[in-house]
Amino acid sequence: MNEQDNLVSDQEKFTEALLKGSYSKALSIAHKYALSHDMIKIFYEQVVKPSLYRIGELWEYNQITVAAEHLATSLSESVMNELYENIISEDRVSKCVLLGCVETEHHQVGIKMIADIFEMNGWDTFFLGANMPTSELIKFSLEKKPDLIALSLSVYSHIPYLEKMIIDIQQKLPCTPLLVGGQAFNNGGDEIMSKYQNVTFLREFQEIEKFIINFQPL
Amino acid sequence: MNRNELIESASMLGPFNQEAVLEYTEKIDRLVVIMNETMASRPDVNELIGDNNLSMMKDNHANHARFIASVMQNFNSEVLVDTILWVFRAYRSRSFHSSYWAAQLNTWMTIFEKEFTRETYGEVRRLYRWMQVNIPSFVICSDEKLSENKSMHLTD
Repeated sequence: MNEQDNLVSDQEKFTEALLKGSYSKALSIAHKYALSHDMIKIFYEQVVKPSLYRIGELWEYNQITVAAEHLATSLSESVMNELYENIISEDRVSKCVLLGCVETEHHQVGIKMIADIFEMNGWDTFFLGANMPTSELIKFSLEKKPDLIALSLSVYSHIPYLEKMIIDIQQKLPCTPLLVGGQAFNNGGDEIMSKYQNVTFLREFQEIEKFIINFQPL
Repeated sequence: MNRNELIESASMLGPFNQEAVLEYTEKIDRLVVIMNETMASRPDVNELIGDNNLSMMKDNHANHARFIASVMQNFNSEVLVDTILWVFRAYRSRSFHSSYWAAQLNTWMTIFEKEFTRETYGEVRRLYRWMQVNIPSFVICSDEKLSENKSMHLTD
């Protein structure tokens, strides 16, 4: 089998492990990719992400229950946590990012992957997870003074919450740039973000590395 | 109409008057309650949505309202069409009948006519009429993927 076939095979096996609720099988696949940061990124982008998209599709067609979908998500996050010691970089860059999901948004796997990419690049990360109330995020940011705030959303109808969040954050933290992305923008809507100054929209997971390398504070 | 034709047709709907969007957003939570009560009290509700699907129907109404508010605020025809197709697939695969959408949209329109100003109703009506007229196309487009996926099975 060539490299691409191996990836497809691992993705199918990972999906199957998640659907069966087998943490050990899912973890054994993850461990094959734990050898380097580049391998972990491939695992995230080409194994975990398509597996979770596939599981979402199975729910859409009523072939699995909500419980099975939630279990798959939870196992994926546990597997990612297990890789943490392979993710942290010894070369720290004295930069800090605060990451979280927009208020009412419950899908946090994608932004967790982004948090790990920042860690790989030596940033200190504060991963605040799903459904982050804006006032609490602002309070925490005023205390921690991050160089960047990254926000994620998966559901298009949450865009008004995101816009309100951007306005509120920029009022209190005008010098903190914002990074925005997520599945909500898969079919469009990213043009909305161009209305706001100091907000960078990233469409693709692969773009994050370039963004981090070229990052300049305001 | 196929997906691309639906997107092209929908592209003529926007943009929407922002005062109308504001009224829709401000009133919609209360209107969802009226919508749920009206639909749940229909004698044919089980024929429309299948057995034991009342809470799913109510979720759909709440999600519908949030989605329409956001799509009217920032209009994008591709997002509109793809989201409606997703809803048709997800709910039809759980026994919602295609007639449910006709009943749902008619009920929304009746409520809106009573509750909105004439100007807002005119704006909202444009979008809802387009959705009503295109129900058969959404059924056909979602049928294609539903039948493709009928043959999918999970490995044991």
